[in-house]
Amino acid sequence: MSSAATSSSVDPITLAVVRGALETTQREMTLTLEKTGRSSVFNLAHDYSNALFDHLPEMILQGQDIPIHLGSLIPAMKAIADYFGDDIHEGDVIYHNDPAYKGSHILDCCMYKPVFYRGELVFWTVCKGHLTDIGGPVPAGYNPEAKEIYAEGLRIPPVKLWEKGKRREDVINLLLTNMRARRDQEGDLNAQYGACRVGERNLLALLDKYGVKAVRDCIDELKHMADRHMRSLIGSIPDGVYSGEAQLEDAGHGFGTLTIQTRVEISGDEVHIAVQSPPQVPYFINSYEGNSMSGIYLGLMMFAEVPPPYNEGLYRCVTVDLGPKGTLCNAEEPAPHVNCTTTPMETLTDAVRKALEQAAPDRVAASWGHASGINIAGRDPRTGEEYVTMVLASIISGAGATKHMDGWHACGPLCCFGALSSGDVELLEYSYPIVIHRYGLVRDSGGAGFYRGGSGTVWEVEPLDHEMTVIGFGEGRQLPTLGAGGAVNGELDSKLGRLQIQRGDELEVHRENVMTTIQPGERAANINPGGGGFGNPMQRPQESVLNDVKNGLVSIEGAALDYGLVIDPNTLEINEAATTELGKRA
Amino acid sequence: MRTQYRLGIDAGGTFTDFVLADLDGGVRLYKSPSTPEDGTKAIRAGLEQISADLGKSIEDIIAQCDLCINGTTVALNALIEKKGVKMGLLCTEGHEDSIEIRLGHKEEGYRYDSAYPPAQMLVPRHLRRPIKGRILADGSEKETLDERAIVEAAKYFRDEGVESVAVSFLWSVRNPEHERRAKALLEQELPGVFICTGSEVYPQVREYTRTSTTIINAYLSPVMARYVSKIDDFFASLGARYPVRYFQSNGGLAVGSAMRGRAVNAINSGPASAPQAGLFCAKPFGVDNIITVDMGGTSFDITLTREGQTNLNKNIDFLRYRIGVPMIQVETLGAGGGSIASVDDYGMLQVGPESAGANPGPVCYGKGGTRPTVTDANLVLGYLNPDAVLGGQITLDRAAAEKAIREHIAEPLGISVEKAAYGISMIVNLNMVNGIRRVSIERGYDPRDFALVCAGGAAGMHIAALAEEMGIKEVLIPKVASGLCAFGQTISDVKYNYLATNPMRLDVEADLSGLNSSFHELEDKGRTHLLGDGFNDADIGIERSVEMRYVGQIHECTVPVATGVIDQAGLEQLLACFHQRHEQLYSYAEPHNPVELVNLESTLTARVTKPAQPKITQSDGNEERALVGPRDMLFDDSGGWMSAPVYQGGLLRAGDCIQGPALIEEPTTTIVVRPGWKVQLEASNCYRLLINA
Repeated sequence: MSSAATSSSVDPITLAVVRGALETTQREMTLTLEKTGRSSVFNLAHDYSNALFDHLPEMILQGQDIPIHLGSLIPAMKAIADYFGDDIHEGDVIYHNDPAYKGSHILDCCMYKPVFYRGELVFWTVCKGHLTDIGGPVPAGYNPEAKEIYAEGLRIPPVKLWEKGKRREDVINLLLTNMRARRDQEGDLNAQYGACRVGERNLLALLDKYGVKAVRDCIDELKHMADRHMRSLIGSIPDGVYSGEAQLEDAGHGFGTLTIQTRVEISGDEVHIAVQSPPQVPYFINSYEGNSMSGIYLGLMMFAEVPPPYNEGLYRCVTVDLGPKGTLCNAEEPAPHVNCTTTPMETLTDAVRKALEQAAPDRVAASWGHASGINIAGRDPRTGEEYVTMVLASIISGAGATKHMDGWHACGPLCCFGALSSGDVELLEYSYPIVIHRYGLVRDSGGAGFYRGGSGTVWEVEPLDHEMTVIGFGEGRQLPTLGAGGAVNGELDSKLGRLQIQRGDELEVHRENVMTTIQPGERAANINPGGGGFGNPMQRPQESVLNDVKNGLVSIEGAALDYGLVIDPNTLEINEAATTELGKRA
Repeated sequence: MRTQYRLGIDAGGTFTDFVLADLDGGVRLYKSPSTPEDGTKAIRAGLEQISADLGKSIEDIIAQCDLCINGTTVALNALIEKKGVKMGLLCTEGHEDSIEIRLGHKEEGYRYDSAYPPAQMLVPRHLRRPIKGRILADGSEKETLDERAIVEAAKYFRDEGVESVAVSFLWSVRNPEHERRAKALLEQELPGVFICTGSEVYPQVREYTRTSTTIINAYLSPVMARYVSKIDDFFASLGARYPVRYFQSNGGLAVGSAMRGRAVNAINSGPASAPQAGLFCAKPFGVDNIITVDMGGTSFDITLTREGQTNLNKNIDFLRYRIGVPMIQVETLGAGGGSIASVDDYGMLQVGPESAGANPGPVCYGKGGTRPTVTDANLVLGYLNPDAVLGGQITLDRAAAEKAIREHIAEPLGISVEKAAYGISMIVNLNMVNGIRRVSIERGYDPRDFALVCAGGAAGMHIAALAEEMGIKEVLIPKVASGLCAFGQTISDVKYNYLATNPMRLDVEADLSGLNSSFHELEDKGRTHLLGDGFNDADIGIERSVEMRYVGQIHECTVPVATGVIDQAGLEQLLACFHQRHEQLYSYAEPHNPVELVNLESTLTARVTKPAQPKITQSDGNEERALVGPRDMLFDDSGGWMSAPVYQGGLLRAGDCIQGPALIEEPTTTIVVRPGWKVQLEASNCYRLLINA
């Protein structure tokens, strides 16, 4: 246990109020982004994260937003503060997306607003969000042909958009000029500014009430509390060195299957995580430092199950070695990287999770479906304006089963861990010229296990009166989601994601990242994977399997292949004789 | 016969509260144990008490009531206990899982919790039947409705024995034709089955919210209808002059005919009148920042009102189910006088959420309860008078309470009975403090800026301890505290919300005549409704609002609109209001960008006259007149019993002031004045507790 004692100078009520005020501040920033954002990625899907930093700058609060952003914000904020050094002033607003300065991927644009109180820098309000476009040759930024980062879109190194309170129209114009669907991007940028301002407003009110010293004391105590919490968890794992590995799918670019390995060393209440990954590749699945930190932290948080609030104190007992520069998980210029927030981040998370499974087998849950989704773009015939968006609804996969229960349906992907929202079907159809024919659970997609993985989803779209571009990203179309506790799939194909294009009677099935166009009357259906199962599926109670069959989540064939149960299709009852004959169940 | 009274009946989980307000001033409060199996039994029992008290027959009293009002937890309890009816859903093909996908989101607070289960489905997947037929966002029909599939689904529902069906198709809010047709077919095929459609229940854009709201309504309405029929018949048989009014979650009243098919509007009916009643009590002290806490037998409800405004929620998750219709914001937890204390597997003392309810109730009630409750602890601590509680109707068995606490808590933990009783009280207080934190601190409000208003029979014994814990310096305990919600009902107006969707851009295509006629239509509907309820035009008030956003945004800001015809100038004003509101909420506005209007709402209120304020005798400075005698009580865990004076509340006068430690006994509530507090009875019939400076 940590020796850090509770600071006696902190009044417990004030501490609780400050904690509540920080959480409310963060929540109101999130609310501002959601309510004012222009693109569906912001206002429906919540692909953004807001955080507060202190003057150091250490993260003092991150909401329960997207885990992809969780890790990368910490080094990114420090890189920004370093870059400007003493050239940080009241009224400045800084913008940035570049992974070379610890950003995640260039679509995630981050705004940083220093908060000054009586001339002193006390806080930063920070808002990171996924813009729907960042220029470059492919709408929405996912260019599977990019061999270098320069071919992916606009890199924004730390730059001031407001300087001492003055909006720099020339700089903002430079950025927006490079993006498609300019009005959406401008609206989202304004929304980010609104979020940072709302955060600042709340924090200034807090400082007015309690003063800088009392607030800082509380924040120190909150960081200590998080540190103590994480240390007690790490301390409960037996000392030792544990290892795990996970595979990336063959993306069809001649690299074959790639493997990421982790080595987790527990000693006392500290943990060291070392990553070994292959050399970086000329394909968009390289991960720079900031993004890789997110993958590591997510693996750790899945295991630790830490309740909120989250601050940088959680990671004081964690050290990380991402391996040599120029490798897949510690990429450097000019590695292309846009897919990194899903692949390989989720693979890296799986590798950490597997090492921890070795350390504490009874405490680890199955993995969640990886993100495999689509972006869509075109010209809206209703207005003549260009539209482009990532369809977050298309990546909602199944959650992993745990030692307690079946996985949640439709709660993934792994990298977002339930924080995304797919957005209301009507609001999507209102915003874009599309018909969504199907958004439902996929039969037999949940990983087989004593506890079944949650079902993945299918999202099927048709363009209205125009030609639409469809761009795939992610993976989970060749390797099934990893189970835990001895889970095995009997039936594989339905556990995997794929992109299906229906043109008349012709059905194209894609298991790699492709870009294509479809016409009115044609449909694109993106199917993503279910979650992994937990425990031996042959011991899953019969009534649970029967119930899944009655509700169409498991087919008659799936019940036999995955669970060794033969079910009569007419009566929906178990054929005991045939089940015994099949001989799969103990 | 002249109308003399107004009757408010709040049926809670444990007790049913009755407030009989004399229209000339004076409020009487009665209680009877709730009878969840048949609500009329409790009501009859209460009326018998009133009848005996006034020396008039029940029929005479009812005939002298201008209004009988009922707040009920019927719908709420059915949702909590999953005791709605077996139901089916008809939905647009391809979207039958929308309700189970729940937008793909897991609630905040459980991000990394591997044991947090998904919400239970009210309609299992096999009873969600997909129907071909597609309306598009502009209201046009892309695919015709598959009527045969509806008939087939109806057959499946019949075979499965469903009692209600929700129909919710995509874009029915723009074109309800398919839903109307489906409803007609179902009514033919399934006589006696309750059918409701999304476009009727919640006519607003957002398929998930609308479908979920419609499902909850279908799940609960048959339960509600059975209840309402019974209550309506009961009062009609007693010769009531007007139909019974029911309290809705929006803070207003409705008639039974409006409630039968709209259970979703009454889901949080009970606690929704607390803010109104609380503000009424706080007004004489110039206080408009209040937190109301209502501690009854089973649950603890909290509301927060800031500067006189109580939050109204729309489109929220309630008990993990998405509900669109407007509701007063209430935080509820399982902590009440009946909450059961136990020692868990780890050897830790726990209190609630399990409750002994009305039956068997606390051990000391002697009705068969064996597990110790908060009330039993309060009795052992000396706060409750063993000889008289609830108007002397139940004699409390202190020995039985001690025995239960000894066996279940003190012995397993190896502590004394008093310490165990104190521990029970402390743990339940802690649970309640955490609940108050959630509505105040966690939303950025400092509880120290608020007064606590006490409601419910059990709260008076805990409220000063809660206030101390939160740093709150002022507590208000009206004499009607134990029936505050029932009292709130008697001072509430009839209120209906009417919603519509009519999206239009306000720059190029502002369709002012369309907008005006939409409002006109809503208000016509509301007016007809209210006139049918027996009101005159003079009673009716209208409040309008619209939801607006910048083109490209998805979420709206609510902007109030003046009534009357909206002309070009009115439109300009509306736009100015919107930009201002956006700036206020989100710190910036985009006045150069186009704005669109999406939803409209008209709230029609029929004013109900308020009963007059009661009159109360002025103090002569001699509180001794109310002194009953001293009793030993325990206020902290030092184990030191203190002898504290006990006063009879009925003999106190306006201006009387008492220093703690002391205890005041009212017929239906007991006020513990902890050491360090003083209490004054105010002319408005409200006790005001202030912490000693």
